[in-house]
Amino acid sequence: MTLQLGEKHFSAAQPESAVRRIVTFRVGDRTFGIDVGMVREIKGWQATTPLPHAAPHVRGVLNLRGVILAVYDLRTSIGLGQTEATATHVIVVVDIEDKVAGLLVDSVSDIVDVPVSAVRPAPDLERDEHGLIEGLVLLDTEIVALLDLAAVIRDGGVEGLARTNRAA
Amino acid sequence: MDPLAELKQTFFQECEELLGALEQKLQALDEGSTDSEDVNAAFRAIHSIKGGAGAFGCTELVAFAHVFEASLDHLRSGRVQIEDAPIALFLRCSDAVADLVSAARNDEPARPRPDLLAELEKVGQSAPAAAPAAAPAAAPVRAEAPRPAPAKSDDAPPGIAALGNLLAMVEARTAAPTPAPAGDGWDDEPASAAAPERSGNAIRLRIKPDSDLFRRVIEPRVVLAILPSEDIVSVACDLGQVPPLESLDVSDCHMRFTVMLRTPMSVEEVHGKFDFTLASEEFEIEMLAAPANDDAAPAAAAPEVSQGVAADLSAILARLGPAASPPATPDIAPAPPASPAAAAVAPAAPRPPLRPPANDAAAARQRQAVSVRVDLDRIDKLMNLVGEIVITQSMLVECVRSLPYDVHAKTAEGILTLSRQTRELQDHVMAVRAQPVKAVFQRMPRLVRELAQTLGKEVKLVLEGENTEVDKTIIEELADPLTHMIRNSMDHGLETPEDRIAAGKSPEGMIKLVAEHRAGRIVISVTDDGRGIGRDKLLAKARSRGLVGQDEKLAPEEIDQLIFAAGLSTAEVVSDVSGRGVGMDVVRRNVESLGGRISVDSEPGRGCKFTLALPLTLAVLEGMVIRCGDDRYVIPIASVIETQHLANTPIEHLTFGQEVLRWRGEVTPLYRLGAVMGSSGERNENIIIIAETERGDNVGIAVDEIVGQQQVVVKSLEANYGTVNGASAATILGDGLVALILDVDSMLRLAASGARHPAPELKLAG
Repeated sequence: MTLQLGEKHFSAAQPESAVRRIVTFRVGDRTFGIDVGMVREIKGWQATTPLPHAAPHVRGVLNLRGVILAVYDLRTSIGLGQTEATATHVIVVVDIEDKVAGLLVDSVSDIVDVPVSAVRPAPDLERDEHGLIEGLVLLDTEIVALLDLAAVIRDGGVEGLARTNRAA
Repeated sequence: MDPLAELKQTFFQECEELLGALEQKLQALDEGSTDSEDVNAAFRAIHSIKGGAGAFGCTELVAFAHVFEASLDHLRSGRVQIEDAPIALFLRCSDAVADLVSAARNDEPARPRPDLLAELEKVGQSAPAAAPAAAPAAAPVRAEAPRPAPAKSDDAPPGIAALGNLLAMVEARTAAPTPAPAGDGWDDEPASAAAPERSGNAIRLRIKPDSDLFRRVIEPRVVLAILPSEDIVSVACDLGQVPPLESLDVSDCHMRFTVMLRTPMSVEEVHGKFDFTLASEEFEIEMLAAPANDDAAPAAAAPEVSQGVAADLSAILARLGPAASPPATPDIAPAPPASPAAAAVAPAAPRPPLRPPANDAAAARQRQAVSVRVDLDRIDKLMNLVGEIVITQSMLVECVRSLPYDVHAKTAEGILTLSRQTRELQDHVMAVRAQPVKAVFQRMPRLVRELAQTLGKEVKLVLEGENTEVDKTIIEELADPLTHMIRNSMDHGLETPEDRIAAGKSPEGMIKLVAEHRAGRIVISVTDDGRGIGRDKLLAKARSRGLVGQDEKLAPEEIDQLIFAAGLSTAEVVSDVSGRGVGMDVVRRNVESLGGRISVDSEPGRGCKFTLALPLTLAVLEGMVIRCGDDRYVIPIASVIETQHLANTPIEHLTFGQEVLRWRGEVTPLYRLGAVMGSSGERNENIIIIAETERGDNVGIAVDEIVGQQQVVVKSLEANYGTVNGASAATILGDGLVALILDVDSMLRLAASGARHPAPELKLAG
């Protein structure tokens, strides 16, 4: 039933044949995905400057060619503690509305095309847990959880961003 | 936007500046300046407004400006002594002009001001008889009429308004091909005024403009319009220079003109006229025949000839002219009747030009060249790029430092030069963005005048530090809070003259508006010498509104701060000036959203002082890089008073763990940066930085190490993240890592609130 609702929801906006191109990345043994259009670039881990009294999932800020952006630790967001960042870790730089943010993940896996109809809404259980998952995609070998990026960034009480986003 | 509308927009922008200049100069005169340059500048400002207004068909504005200009001209010419001038009237007139401009801008009907006009017209008449009325009747009265659009270069205003003048001139020339009546003002030559029969020098003028004529925004018709049309015998255009079509650049001027003149002017005078628009190699003037005094034929023939020629000229001009609708000829109000005494003066002693014309022309050209309007976006991009270079350069410095100097001495030297140049570049780009707060301050005198009238109070406004520069974006944000603060002071702070006398003060209240740079911010204070904040009333009201508990005890200073709470007004009578106290809480919110702060100090019976501190956005600041644990921070040098070793400073412990130190005989609170900001790693906290807060208090901040001092580029944290308590912004250090720029006041608040209640302000604002 929920599946049908999901299909309806998407078909309202897009034709049946539409596909979403998704970048997938891993944190621990889980795979997440976001629309490729949101990804500005992918870069190796780089030391961040911590912010005083920030939420736990805010790793700090870094300099991306003169722009200062905050890096959010996805592992912390999903409740698995802080990432022990090494040179092999990856920061996915994303555009969210008019802001730029970094998402710290273990590795980027792939870019896949997913028919819109294959996206299922997140089960309530997932949603309850963190409210970060916008939907699920079943691939041959794994389940990709599509992230609601705004929620990832907001989660943990980064009021500043949430507030300014609302204002914008 | 179509080009005409765009031009019009530019004109109104210029008007703002011109009005500012006008008001400022009048203000100077009001304060007792007798500098004729102030009068001239005021005259020029109103003249430029009039010129532009004429070009855009703002008839009411032209009519008013014209009369205003005429009365100012009385001052300029010395017919009315500056000391005797009704400056207050002029100030009201400048307000009226501002109203007319804004009416024209918004296409609203303008409010006619016959009252002011009538007063203005009296200005010249009441002039003291400077010259004995020797020949009152003999003087041609028209000669006294203010010139509609003087072509004299010392009057030539820069920019669009100038273009307006020229357009108006061309219009007038083409519209009236008949020989103008004597002394119509096209030139100041008394000779021409006295020469109804046209004889004079036969002069051939060849104009061969450089091909870049159009790009200099000069048009042939503008060039030709310089000449009195009655002097022109013929105009021929040579198109021989036009290249084949395939190589024709339409933005090049290929026209050559040959103009035959019969004029009372000498070659030099003609030269002087063209000097203004054309380079000297662009025209040739040749004397063909000297005037034959006994030659009556040209005199008789001239009017017909010039009629015909003028028609030809206007035909040429019509062909040359753009399709755009011609600007309306200024609808000039009747000239004020010149007093006989005044009229006698001018012809007797024609006013000498203030400066040699050649210099004037050069100066005018220079004025046009130095002022360029640039989109703020472009400067922003430039600024960002320069910021990048500064960071890259400091990275380079760090790289070179790690290399053996003897091997790379040359590199080091080069980088040193680069550093200097980068810094210079940065300074210049910053300077482009920076503007004196004058732009906002100069709007305040009018506000005060109007309010004083409405409220029946006598107020003197004192401005200080008008030249304090601040980023343009901040300038724009200043106007609203300042207006509110001044309104508040005028309405609630200052008493009526009777009350003031009763309180033993002078009947005239004072409001002082001061801008200065302090602690890396711009601090603007509004001080009045009124009654101060009525604390009892304020507290009672706050209690009745439930903002303060019934039993809660507040320190006097805390009560004062209630003025920023929403919905409180101390005025017994709610006026339409500052309303129901919505002012100050809105001000606070706006100021805080800009990353600034506002505070109030009040002394009952003595007055009240609002202090507004705003960041100098985008500023590059001189910072001290400090280390605390593993983290580095930048503290603005402007906030630092001195640094010292902890060992030399006795520390005492108060209750609740607050530490204080004795510094210069004062008890100064000490904060440990690492603890406040939650720095990681081990800390020794050996160094104490004595810093200054915006209120002027001193605090000690304990850190581990001073790494160095350098110029840092301020990078916004808000752009991609949000407000960070304790920091005003961030910067990028030489190794590419980000360091927070500490904000001493925000840090103290963070320390006071403790990490238990992070960011109470944030929640308020959200």
